[in-house]
Amino acid sequence: MVPILSILLLTLLGGTVLTFASGKQARWVALGTSIVFLFETFYLLDAYTAWPGRAGLYAVPQYSFSESYAWISLPWLHINYTVGVDGISLILILLTAFLQIATVVYCWTETNRPAAWFGLVLLTCLGSIGVFIALDILLFFLFWEATLIPMFFMIGYWGGPKRRYAALKFFVYTHVASIVMLVALLAVAFYAHAASFDFADIFVATHSPGFPIVTQALLFLALFFGFGVKFPIVPFHTWLPDAHVEAPTGGSVLLAGLLLKLGGYGLIRWAVEVLPQGLAHTSWIVYAVAFASIVWGSVLSLSQRDLKRMVAYSSINHMGIVLLAIAVYSSLGLLAAVLLMFAHGVVSGLLFMASGSVHHSFGTRDIASLHGITPKAPVLATMIMVGSLASLGLPALISFPAEFAALLATWDRLGYWVVVPLLILVVTAGFYLWMMQRVLFGPPQNVPEKAHDLDVYETAGMAILVALIILYGVLPGFLVNVIVNSPVYGFP
Amino acid sequence: MDAVSWTWFLPEAFLLGAALVVFLLDAVGVRKIEAVGAVSVGAVLLALLAVISDLGFDPLGFLSTLPASVIDSGGGSTSLYAFSSLGLVFQGIFLLSALLVALASLSRPSDEAGASVFYGLLLMATLGMMLVAIAADLIFLLIAIEVTGIATYLMVGYTRKDARGLEAAMKFYIIGALSTALSFFGASLLFGAYGSTNFLVLSQGLGGVTESTLALVGYAFLIVGLAFKVTLVPFHAWAVDVYDGAPTDVSAFLAGGTKKMGVFAFFLVFIGPLSILTARAVSCSGSVCVAPYDFRPSVQLTLGVLAILTMTVGNLLALLQKEMKRMLAYSSVSQAGYMMIGIAIGTAPALAGATLQVFAHVFMKAGAFLVVAGVSALGVGPLIAQYRGLGQKRPYLGVAFALLLLSLAGIPLTLGFVSKFVLFSAAVQASTVPGQSFFFWLAVAGLLNSAVSVFYYARVLKVMYMEPPDPAVPLDGPAGDPTAGLGFGRTAAIILAVVAIVGLGIYPQPVLSAIQSAATHFVATGA
Repeated sequence: MVPILSILLLTLLGGTVLTFASGKQARWVALGTSIVFLFETFYLLDAYTAWPGRAGLYAVPQYSFSESYAWISLPWLHINYTVGVDGISLILILLTAFLQIATVVYCWTETNRPAAWFGLVLLTCLGSIGVFIALDILLFFLFWEATLIPMFFMIGYWGGPKRRYAALKFFVYTHVASIVMLVALLAVAFYAHAASFDFADIFVATHSPGFPIVTQALLFLALFFGFGVKFPIVPFHTWLPDAHVEAPTGGSVLLAGLLLKLGGYGLIRWAVEVLPQGLAHTSWIVYAVAFASIVWGSVLSLSQRDLKRMVAYSSINHMGIVLLAIAVYSSLGLLAAVLLMFAHGVVSGLLFMASGSVHHSFGTRDIASLHGITPKAPVLATMIMVGSLASLGLPALISFPAEFAALLATWDRLGYWVVVPLLILVVTAGFYLWMMQRVLFGPPQNVPEKAHDLDVYETAGMAILVALIILYGVLPGFLVNVIVNSPVYGFP
Repeated sequence: MDAVSWTWFLPEAFLLGAALVVFLLDAVGVRKIEAVGAVSVGAVLLALLAVISDLGFDPLGFLSTLPASVIDSGGGSTSLYAFSSLGLVFQGIFLLSALLVALASLSRPSDEAGASVFYGLLLMATLGMMLVAIAADLIFLLIAIEVTGIATYLMVGYTRKDARGLEAAMKFYIIGALSTALSFFGASLLFGAYGSTNFLVLSQGLGGVTESTLALVGYAFLIVGLAFKVTLVPFHAWAVDVYDGAPTDVSAFLAGGTKKMGVFAFFLVFIGPLSILTARAVSCSGSVCVAPYDFRPSVQLTLGVLAILTMTVGNLLALLQKEMKRMLAYSSVSQAGYMMIGIAIGTAPALAGATLQVFAHVFMKAGAFLVVAGVSALGVGPLIAQYRGLGQKRPYLGVAFALLLLSLAGIPLTLGFVSKFVLFSAAVQASTVPGQSFFFWLAVAGLLNSAVSVFYYARVLKVMYMEPPDPAVPLDGPAGDPTAGLGFGRTAAIILAVVAIVGLGIYPQPVLSAIQSAATHFVATGA
């Protein structure tokens, strides 16, 4: 069998190294790598017919395209290079492939050390792909950390005026969280007496009857914190707005589109699947945090004057809904969570690109001082409109099926509590409409002379995402079919 | 036991012989660094090959002189020395540190005064370290430490012209004498308690109450005496001044080499005897039975607290440093704390983790000091800020230094990461035993500390890569020559260190499995 997942990694690794080394032509190398990678992903989706199946509720899930080679082998420590995918990881790999190509195209005219910039973009995607396919604790941690370093440099070198502070804050928050996550994963492996650091062995060990519930609950909470900071969950969310506001546009796209998804994916794969009893006994904490993130994220989002800050805070709200959908612990909830992660990745990517272009073109992102930009920049206005409508959950756009499924899953489990996210969605929708009405339409005011519309690269980068928003909004079945072909919890 | 043959001590003989040759050459007027350096490097290489052969890897086939039956068979109750495979691993580590320093020092000015003194002392110090690794008796151990100690006091001050070096040598000498006195006093108390200083006798103990109190005080003195050697906080203050004041190549040897001797001394005194002690049965004479006094929890707690203190204080002070050598010295203090985690836990996996940490530290810390020595030979000042632009002006040297620092920081895909990962995994594994949850917090403390340490290493990278070069410092040398100003020997040493760090960081299995089986034997036999 072809080791397709290793080929995927090697493609990006080779591309990254070449990009770093290729000076002024870096963007071409990066684009070529992204295109090759996208086609490899298509091949993967095509070859992934169905999940190989699982014998019973607590039988170990089998992963497709899996490879495993011994890496470190001691009498008490077994670490393997083990990779494999299921529908959940596949969808997120697809998201990575699309965001990567869109970001490379959008950033085409980057002139400040382009080789380093495009190399870091590819490196971030490499780390994310690694996280999505790794099925061994050490391998997973390796890739998890590998996403941290390029983002640190992207914010710290290409960022806005307070970039040093923002980069450091981002690094400290997420690094401390990674350490908690690593300790918790090691503890899961050793306290459950797993035969190796492989996901399958850990799964078997944690599902054996001898593993105490209290330990499971404590370890789940530690993992929840470790992954939650990346989500980010309230009250550990304060790094996010700073990082986003100071990050360059491409960095924001990858941060919101990919890095937040790592938290969601990690929570599903390494916390919920591994320690379902842990979730069951602490679910009230997770619900509380999810509701707090939904409400507080949207309150903060509504009170922002800066367009980019508003989009950043709305991420907290959307990821809160993802968390809620994971916490209800049902097949429908999982489907909703993964769909919503894909949707949010694409939509927030588009909105960050749009707000970056607004700043570039109009010299400000202040909602209060932007009025009627449509006549001057019709294409940009269209992009903002599509992004906003998708973000507020308009049917036939990508977020709608995801949010609908999330609310339905919440209703199944929590009954009338579903009113909380529902009301918040309505309020947020109203706010988005008000923002659009103010910024896009109406008579132009304070429009600077040299304001201009999108250039061709910006348009192309955003168009990719708009196409996805509409395509998968109309035909969510493409995504749903892949996700449900996964070892989803084995729940009704 | 087989009849003793002098060929068992072939590695030691190479070193002693070479030291005598170097001093003789000095007496007949051959003092060129190329000549004495070549003799020394050759002797260290031969000794290293012999040790590797004894460990069973045998690259040449004829150097393996130690019968397999002798290794790990434990010493008798009167023997002074015993060959353990972990001891052989440590001999290899000591020889590697000597090799790096001897190689790099070849690049010093060829007519520099004192070259033969330097190399002769380096060989004698290494010989002392080799003896530490085979000690089976406390007095033998302390004397071996002193052999190294006296040689290194002289090495710190051998240039004689540099006032800072002389001050450092004096400080080193006084502290060294103090710590030796404390250790010997502890040994005398143990002798009073047990009537012997042999590790096997110590490990068997007597089980009496009076003797236990005396022995506990003796062990306390030993901990303090050895803590000075390993630079544990609060016995660390001398180390920074000495590493800073000594010639930088000597600092590389002190931080990368001789300090590790203290780590192995801790292994011998606290892992072997104490691990057997806990397994000992109640001793009965007639109808009176006495339960053995278990030193282990109190010693483990003491060492664990020292480990946390050492890591934390070392890292926090390293954050505040402005000079490169002082920063590296404090980082070296904190690294000793990581090693102490393994000693406090004392299980075979933890011991393997600590040994791997020692192994990694030889390459990354000695390598880093050797780079610093090379950079200062290019005319760059001692401050971290003066390293600006190094990464752009000297890309190869910059990448080498960056990799060594990243390894020290424990960034994945370097040996420094693997060693910390194994060590902290071992701590978590040990904490799953009921009543040992303290070890879990040692792992947490270690991980948090390694997160803190990232900052001061990253700061150097920032200066090297993100700040423009200083036009006053001609870093370039002749165009296009990556070794310009460094010389062959130093370049070779740096390449060796970097290749080891990266190669074994990606695939650590060969070294790791050898260390693990050695550590397992060590814990099982206690010697």
